[in-house]
Amino acid sequence: MALPLSRCWRWTLGSSTGISLLNTVCSGNGRPAAIATASILSGDRLVNLASVKKFRSLSRDNFRSLPSSGSACTCSEVHSDAKIKDPFALAQKDLRNLYDDIKKEMFVSVAELKSLCDYYFDGKGKAFRPMIVVLMARACNLHSHRDGDLLPAQRSIAMISEMIHTASLVHDDVIDGSDIRRGKTTINNVWGERKAILAGDFILSAASMALARIGNNTVVAVLSQVIEDLVRGEFMQLGSKENENERFKHYLEKTFKKTASLIANSCKAVSILVSSDPEIHEIAYQYGRNIGIAFQLVDDILDFTSCANQLGKPSAADLKLGLATGPVLFACQQFPELHAMIMRRFGSSGDVDRAWQYVLQSDGVQQTLYLAQSYCQEAIRQISQLRPSSEREALIQLMGLVLSRDK
Amino acid sequence: MAVALAKASCIGRLCTARRSISLFSSTSPSSWSKVVSDAEKIVGYPTSFMSLRCLLSDELSNVAMHVRKLVGTKHPLLNTARGFVHDSRNNLQMRGLVVLLMSKAAGPSSASSGLLQQDMVSGIYPSQRNLAEITELIHTAFLVHRGIVDLKEWTRSDGPLKDMQFGNKMAILSGDFLLANACTGLAQLNNTKVVELISSAIGDLVQGIYHESDSWAEDSSLTEDTTVASWEDKTFLSHGALLAKSCQAALELAMHDKEAQALAYLYGKHMSLAHKVNSDLQPFVKHSAGDPVTLNPVTLSLNSAPVLLHRQIVGPERWAHQLKQAKAAGKQVDYAKQLWETVSAEKGVRAAIDLCCCHGNKALDAIKCFPPSEARSALENFATAVTKF
Repeated sequence: MALPLSRCWRWTLGSSTGISLLNTVCSGNGRPAAIATASILSGDRLVNLASVKKFRSLSRDNFRSLPSSGSACTCSEVHSDAKIKDPFALAQKDLRNLYDDIKKEMFVSVAELKSLCDYYFDGKGKAFRPMIVVLMARACNLHSHRDGDLLPAQRSIAMISEMIHTASLVHDDVIDGSDIRRGKTTINNVWGERKAILAGDFILSAASMALARIGNNTVVAVLSQVIEDLVRGEFMQLGSKENENERFKHYLEKTFKKTASLIANSCKAVSILVSSDPEIHEIAYQYGRNIGIAFQLVDDILDFTSCANQLGKPSAADLKLGLATGPVLFACQQFPELHAMIMRRFGSSGDVDRAWQYVLQSDGVQQTLYLAQSYCQEAIRQISQLRPSSEREALIQLMGLVLSRDK
Repeated sequence: MAVALAKASCIGRLCTARRSISLFSSTSPSSWSKVVSDAEKIVGYPTSFMSLRCLLSDELSNVAMHVRKLVGTKHPLLNTARGFVHDSRNNLQMRGLVVLLMSKAAGPSSASSGLLQQDMVSGIYPSQRNLAEITELIHTAFLVHRGIVDLKEWTRSDGPLKDMQFGNKMAILSGDFLLANACTGLAQLNNTKVVELISSAIGDLVQGIYHESDSWAEDSSLTEDTTVASWEDKTFLSHGALLAKSCQAALELAMHDKEAQALAYLYGKHMSLAHKVNSDLQPFVKHSAGDPVTLNPVTLSLNSAPVLLHRQIVGPERWAHQLKQAKAAGKQVDYAKQLWETVSAEKGVRAAIDLCCCHGNKALDAIKCFPPSEARSALENFATAVTKF
């Protein structure tokens, strides 16, 4: 799987069509191999260069270990080609001091509240959203015949996207009663639910102020939509749909609102700041929407596979929360027994374990991966409409990382 | 939201009031409600349709359905919901009403020729009406978020833990929903200065209410260095910033200059502070000693203006002694009663009434320069009524 992927990066450099990429990637040997590969990205430290190098060496090993990776391109070619840079490395210069700058945006007189607000901006997050935002910004800038330099307002959007994301995490952790996030005890677990909610509200207000200071009404409207989508997505998780088709539509819509809307609209915002062409805005938005949905689909897969591979024990956090995600919905087509469990939100004793077994016996995980791959394919088709640049290639390369991440 | 939640809260038994939600309701009811109903006539219809849209949304009907399950539990969300209905006549839209009156009292500015005069209804721009609604949405969102329960402080007597978790979930979601609607509403005003101003008011509110719940549990929150000035700073954040900044924003929307905006801000600030002192005074001006029913620890807070002023008058040593004596009384209700008697016996109450009048007068001063109009008179009536005891 990884092998054709690296080959395709070269193809997309040469031609402007990236469409063929995922045909190759997806068809592969049909196994969700990427999911099973060993730790490719060391989770928390993606931004720094050391781990980027680690990623390269790790992925090289993985390439070798895969069956049927006989001839064709080797990874040294990827290395030697100066134009192909790792997305995280390419974005790094723009993301330097990102977390310090975010902390400076939050003016608080109450000392304890300040430490709650700063809690997750400790530099250990993946900064996945800011990375996409700055790469998209530079790709749009180059497309619009400017030098590639990031506009200050575009960097602000990168910060704001991470702030909105964090604020929603803080609230989600209270709603889900989570104790651990990114290897740290959650805010609600340390300071209590009430203060956690207030801290989330504060981070949101600081994001909203930073957004207003950009001074662009359209950009304010685009990112305010995200906040509404996040809440509506959370509401959508409360209900279950009886009808199977409706249920899938509901799931994808929820996935868009809870995860993809932030990425899509942040990408759109940085494109608005450099170009007045609605077609560019749409490309940026669609890229973000598609990669965002793919990202979440993989996340939902990992809920079934990540610990199963590493610890031999399911985490199944979504099932425990009563949520039926992609793998369950696909599995339900093979095992109709799941239907009743979905409707009672896995509330009877033994439901979680049984549902987990059904999912692993079915091809639910694989089907969900196919679906994620098709969203990635569409994201690549969209971004390929921009003129070539190393940032554009990085955004394409990102698909491989989204599909192969294991945490 | 009020209607939907009311439906849920009317069914079945309701627990005794743990948290006083009532706002702007406490001043001599007859004259106050007359001030309000007169003011509502002046601004035409009091609201736009933003809150109606929220009310009728799938999301909040969903919450209302779930809140039903909370009936009989002790989650504060029920009381908040009940508060919406109970005081809806006088309270729910009060902040919005002040913003509308301020908009009308200021009128169109010389700079606002670009804005369409014919869009005005009862002398108020549509954007200002939307702003008034946004102010209410934010206020309501924080009434709800204030009432989130810390699960670690849960005890068996609070009922099943599951109920508290569920109540929290509903409170978080409905508060977030109201805030999100406020955000999109703000964006539609197409004025980034207003977005920044109101967003900063949200931040102020959070900072102001962050330590609120500690106030009775830990006496330490009222530390030695709590002065009237620092009390006012803190109270401004929790009770004044939203109204002050909304009044300022209303004038920004009509393109009034910085000076006029500053006056509107001052009116909102001092009106809010006068009102807060007024409601802090209610246990002392309304009740006689033989009326222990409403004297629960919440209505009589150690952080309230009369208690603070009392402490300043008697000095730290006598206060420490008095506090110790009151604590010896045992149960919280007796404690509150003892404290009430101690404070009532001295000059703290009088000093608080003076403080209230002082802020009421500053509010009146702020709008002196506005041209005389019935809207200005209504704002003056508010400032006067809040200082009547």
